[in-house]
Formats: sequence, structure tokens, C-alpha cells
Amino acid sequence: MSEFKPGIVAFCCHHCAYGAADLAGAMRLAYPDSIRVVRLPCTGKLDVAHVLSAFEHGADGVMVAG
Amino acid sequence: MIVAEQKPLDEIMQSVSEDKNVLVLGCGTCVTVCFAGGEKEAEILAASMRMRSEMSDGGCTVDHLTIQRQCEWEYLDSAADAIKGADKVVSLACGIGAQAIIERFPEAQMVPGLNTRFYGLPTKQGVWEERCGGCGDCVLEYTDGICPVSRCSKSLLNGPCGGSHDGLCEVSDEMECAWHLIVERMEKLGHLDRLEEMHEPKNWSAARDGGPGKIVREDLLREPPGEVDEGEEGTGS
Repeated sequence: MSEFKPGIVAFCCHHCAYGAADLAGAMRLAYPDSIRVVRLPCTGKLDVAHVLSAFEHGADGVMVAG
Repeated sequence: MIVAEQKPLDEIMQSVSEDKNVLVLGCGTCVTVCFAGGEKEAEILAASMRMRSEMSDGGCTVDHLTIQRQCEWEYLDSAADAIKGADKVVSLACGIGAQAIIERFPEAQMVPGLNTRFYGLPTKQGVWEERCGGCGDCVLEYTDGICPVSRCSKSLLNGPCGGSHDGLCEVSDEMECAWHLIVERMEKLGHLDRLEEMHEPKNWSAARDGGPGKIVREDLLREPPGEVDEGEEGTGS
């Protein structure tokens, strides 16, 4: 049986966490391909409905970074 | 405004357990302001219901829609197609809006998604308190602007009862005694003696004691517009 690989939706702030993810790419740092990044203008934009929508569409977890 | 609270998800799910197509109908007026049944709450409830359904039998489709006001037919008509197309409508309006749905669309099946609580105001962020009992015969004039009908647990009109202690009501230590507030305010304004004035007995028949309320304003009554005869159109008078 294959190992469980959780699908994670990461809501990232454009001004910090998304920039950090960009930098990680530039530095050739790897992260699992099961992490899907959604860029927000600010994590203050995040609403409960967005988190629920991620779960509803199959995410196993949601990360908010900002 | 009218203040309401959302019913528990389990209770709402139970009320739609036999239905395949459900519409969550939000209301954009009072219940939006008290964060119980507006656009955002309708969206969240619909998503929660879909996930709950998915976790059980998965046979329920839940859509959501929010209109400006459920308690007026003109606004309800904008949701006519969605209401008629649903097996059941979960109304996220107060009890007035919920009933308006079935008055306007008698074939619609409706269940309430909220418990309507009271007429009140937000006293601070996240806190709503009752301020009016809708009694139909306002006494604020005699009580210096503090309503004993809604804010006294016994709706007393002649001063505090024996349960008033340290400014609080005997029902709960988190409940202020309305008559304590009234007396304090009158003392502060220097006219406590006004409480000695005699008044006619309050007309309780204007409240629930008189049965369901109804107001008819003859000056506003209009006959429904008749059909316009094309031959007479634009002739003026």
C-alpha cells in the first residue's frame, strides 16, 4: 500500500510568504508536489469560505502563511 | 434590528434529510449585520452541508443565494427560479422572511436555518443585546429612554422587584436590572421625581396580548395596476 501523501493548499501572502516560496524556488529548495500554493494580496483576504472550499475540493489540509 | 442565531448544523441537516436539491437562501438585511444569515453565512453553511452530505450518502446538492431582503415580495421575486427549482429552501432570514417565502411561493418547501431572537443592537463587537419588545405602546417617554418591557425580565412598569440586587437582575448576574438603570439615570439627570407621575394603564392589547398585529395605512393603499389598453396609452388627461 502506498504511503499517504496529504494534499495541502497553502494560502500565501503576496508580500511575505509567497516571496519566500519564490526565493525557495530560486535557491533550488524542494517541497512536496502535493502542496498547492494560492497567492493572496494579503492573508487578511482569506475567508472561512475559502478554507471550506479547499477542503470541499479534496484538500487534506490547509496552510495559511502570511 | 432583528437579531438571530444560526441553528446547529445537525438540526439543519435533519430537516433536509429527504431532499436532493437544497437552496440556502441568505438575507442581506438585519441578519447580515448580526452575522447570522448573510451572503457569507449562506456560503459557509452551503459548503458545510455539502461536505456533511458527502461524508454520509453524498446525495444532496446544495446551492446558495442571497437576496437583499426576504421579507418583501419584490426582492423575493428575484430568487423565484432558484426557490421553485429547489426541493427545499433553508431560509437564513428571520421568521418573517422565512414565512414570506411560502406566502409568495405556496408550493415551496421551506425550513428555517435561524432562530430569531429579539430586536436589539450590538453593544460591542460580537455582542448583541435586546432593546425593544415591539409592544406597540412605547413607554420610553416615562422611563427616560430605557425600556422596561424588553430589559426587565418581568416587564415591570412600576419599579424594580425584590430580585434586584447590586444593579443586577435575579435571573442572571450578567443581566442588568432595567429599573436600576432607569432610577440611576433619572437621579443623574435630576428628575427622579418624575417617577411619581401617574399614567394611564399601558395598552397591552397593542402587543401580543391583542393577537397578531396588523397596520393598515389607507393613505398608502393602492389597487394593483390594471392592464393598460394600448389604444389609450399616452393620451394623458
